[in-house]
Amino acid sequence: MNIFLEILVYGAVQSAVYALLAMGFCLIFGVANIVNLAHTALYMIGAYLVYTFFSLLRLNLAMAILLSTVSVGIVAMGLYRFCIRPVMYSEWSVLMVTISLALFFQQLMIFFYGPPDRNVQGFIQEKLTLFGVVEIDAQRLLTLGISVILLILLWLYIYRTRMGKAILAVAQDREAALFMGINSERVYLTVIAISAMLAAIGGAFIAPTLGARPEMWSPPLGRIFAVVVLGGMGSLEGTILAALLIGYTEVIISFAISSYFGELVAVLIILLMLTFRPSGLLGKRIEV
Amino acid sequence: MPGQENRSIFTSERIGLLIALAILSAVPLFIKDRAIVELIILANIYAVYVASWDILCGYTGQVNFGHALFVGGGAYAAALLNFYFKTPPWVTIFIGGGIAAIFGLIIGTPCLRLRGPYFALATFAAAAVPYGLTDVYWEITGGLDGLYGISPIWPTLAGRYYFSLLLTALCCGLIYAGGRSNKGLILKSIREDEIGAMASGINTTRYKLVTFIVSGFFAGVAGAFYSHNQLHVGPETLSINLSILVIIMSVVGGIGTITGPICGAYLLTIFNEMLREWEELRLLIYTATVVLMLIFVPKGIVPALSEGISQLFKKRKGG
Amino acid sequence: MEVILEVQELTKYFGGLAAVRNVSFVLRQGEMLGIIGPNGAGKTTLFNLLTGFLKPNGGKIIFRGENIVGLKPWTIVNQGLARTFQIVRPFHQLTGLENVVISCLSPRGAERAKKGAEEKAWKLLKSVGLAGKERMLAKDLPHGDLKRLELARALATDPELLLLDEPFAGLGLQEIYSLSPLIQRLSQEGHSIIIIEHKLRELMKLVKRVMTLHFGEKIADGTPDELSRDQRVVEAYLGKGGRTFANV
Repeated sequence: MNIFLEILVYGAVQSAVYALLAMGFCLIFGVANIVNLAHTALYMIGAYLVYTFFSLLRLNLAMAILLSTVSVGIVAMGLYRFCIRPVMYSEWSVLMVTISLALFFQQLMIFFYGPPDRNVQGFIQEKLTLFGVVEIDAQRLLTLGISVILLILLWLYIYRTRMGKAILAVAQDREAALFMGINSERVYLTVIAISAMLAAIGGAFIAPTLGARPEMWSPPLGRIFAVVVLGGMGSLEGTILAALLIGYTEVIISFAISSYFGELVAVLIILLMLTFRPSGLLGKRIEV
Repeated sequence: MPGQENRSIFTSERIGLLIALAILSAVPLFIKDRAIVELIILANIYAVYVASWDILCGYTGQVNFGHALFVGGGAYAAALLNFYFKTPPWVTIFIGGGIAAIFGLIIGTPCLRLRGPYFALATFAAAAVPYGLTDVYWEITGGLDGLYGISPIWPTLAGRYYFSLLLTALCCGLIYAGGRSNKGLILKSIREDEIGAMASGINTTRYKLVTFIVSGFFAGVAGAFYSHNQLHVGPETLSINLSILVIIMSVVGGIGTITGPICGAYLLTIFNEMLREWEELRLLIYTATVVLMLIFVPKGIVPALSEGISQLFKKRKGG
Repeated sequence: MEVILEVQELTKYFGGLAAVRNVSFVLRQGEMLGIIGPNGAGKTTLFNLLTGFLKPNGGKIIFRGENIVGLKPWTIVNQGLARTFQIVRPFHQLTGLENVVISCLSPRGAERAKKGAEEKAWKLLKSVGLAGKERMLAKDLPHGDLKRLELARALATDPELLLLDEPFAGLGLQEIYSLSPLIQRLSQEGHSIIIIEHKLRELMKLVKRVMTLHFGEKIADGTPDELSRDQRVVEAYLGKGGRTFANV
């Protein structure tokens, strides 16, 4: 029973993190057809910036998070305008440019902060005991809570606001949206900013748990790409479903065997999925 | 994806390649600095990595994000055979290539029906598995440190250099010939429009699979050679960083041309070395340069240059 | 004359929608059949089914005595069934010659060496009226030439049955007048041909037999004359109360 509860809680945290990161990635792909391999690099920058503002400069926590999130949003918009847009005619070039940007940011972090891990202070220091048996850092629970809140806010934004509707329109048919008078460029910028900010907040909250390292953009990238493909590129609901599936599978396997095999399973899921149902659980159909 | 052959300088391309080969042959005779010779040996090996990548990815348009799987597969196969069974380098190199080719068969069969980013993801994921395995089975593979004491391919530096040049000339030469042949044309048609190629009676699945296997074979051979050159094998030969580096070299040089990626391999290897003076900034400048090149010279250096040259000739003739 | 193609109860669903429903017809060797029908009637889907790009949910396609359902597209081509596409799909970055050479290099095109393939390709390009343009890149060729290129590519595989999907689409009258005799000649040379077309007048000049599809079903199969008087066909195109083709 203990184990079941532990898996329940840790699985939820893992899934929430994946969902938060994957959501932004899925959003950009669904709306602008951009596979942004620098997405997790933005998450990394968010982590490092919070480290800088909170741990180094001793700013107020809320201020630190706000500053780093907004900065990453602005950086992302700049990246879109100057690095991605010029090469958007080719899916492939976008892949290349964004992966190179990720490498560039890794070097940038090494340049400013040096290679070693950085310890980021937790926002809440305690350990909690849930249900009387499950020990977990409050920081992780906080991450879970924030992720859920943000996902709900995102859902409200997309389905209840005007801009959200514009985003949906462009995602479905960009040309038709243009004919309706929707400024697709503004939509793209909005989506990029939102996506980046979600990643940055993810970085901010996860950093105390994992630490900040210049290579930290690399492991999650494959994982969230897997989540998005499993859920169906371009489907927000699918992404959440897939995040839950992959998150829980990883945690269960980690408990049962070892954490390496947990990662291996994620890889196998991707390969199986791609072989048998490339459009994912709920995604856009891929044509022959 | 651009990968245009420019017919007007077709034969000058071959002359250029022969000149390059001649220059490379002369290197150990004129350059006494051992480090530079070692560097060019490395570049020679990288040239085979990228050429083998390009014949698949530049020509058929299926972009492999896990090329290190082939390189590392060959490297480890050769190293393990040599380390545990004392198999001589000649044999291990061929077996290394063979093992990598088998990987190509196993992975290619399910993955090749995927397109674009999906294929990229699948190959990326597939390559991640062996990397972790080297750690899990660290007793055999030496874990993160790898294995030392692999036999050299030849005791002297000059000997190693000429063998590396032989490797490059043979492998790249064969790949180049394949690319310029009828088969290469068919591969390009698959890139342009796979459905159209199918409608022209081409068994695209078989062509893609065979190319994938060939790509794997040559990469494995080069990887095996690398083990015998470094006298060491480690997980860096299986890493995503290597896969990405191969892609970057190819794209910067100009995918789909074989010569482009080869140029990219030499240029970037030398560029990387030139930056050693600015050690701290080195990789920063390197990656920044790559990003800029991708944005401003999207077709790659070789196609851009050849277009530039033929524009020049047109202007001269046109008056 | 022998039957070269027999389609039996062919059906294809996309989700809940029947794009092609229980279509059956027979084509004899050397015959030329026109297929008409409003947009979305299932004509191109039918071609995709015949050429193996789509798998039917039911029915049989018997080509030269063998059921070809489930075969890969290239296998079908290599058995002698070739097609052109409604929206041309040349290999843009290859030259006109190279475009046709690809088809020549297929098993049925039967050329192995570059020289043989290029010669055969050149002859074909000449026969469709593209001599002199073979070194131009496909992306630089005008639309009318691309239509001819499609034809040359299909012909390079030595087909017995040729499926032409809207060969006149996007062409001006002059271009149609020069392309039409080419298609006629192909029929006279013994190729069996099925043509999907919207340009009814030009189609009726070429074919003696027309089949009409509407919402995926065959609603008529006969001579142009018979069809122009068939109420169902008129309604399919013009709605109830429309004029007949005879008056057009």
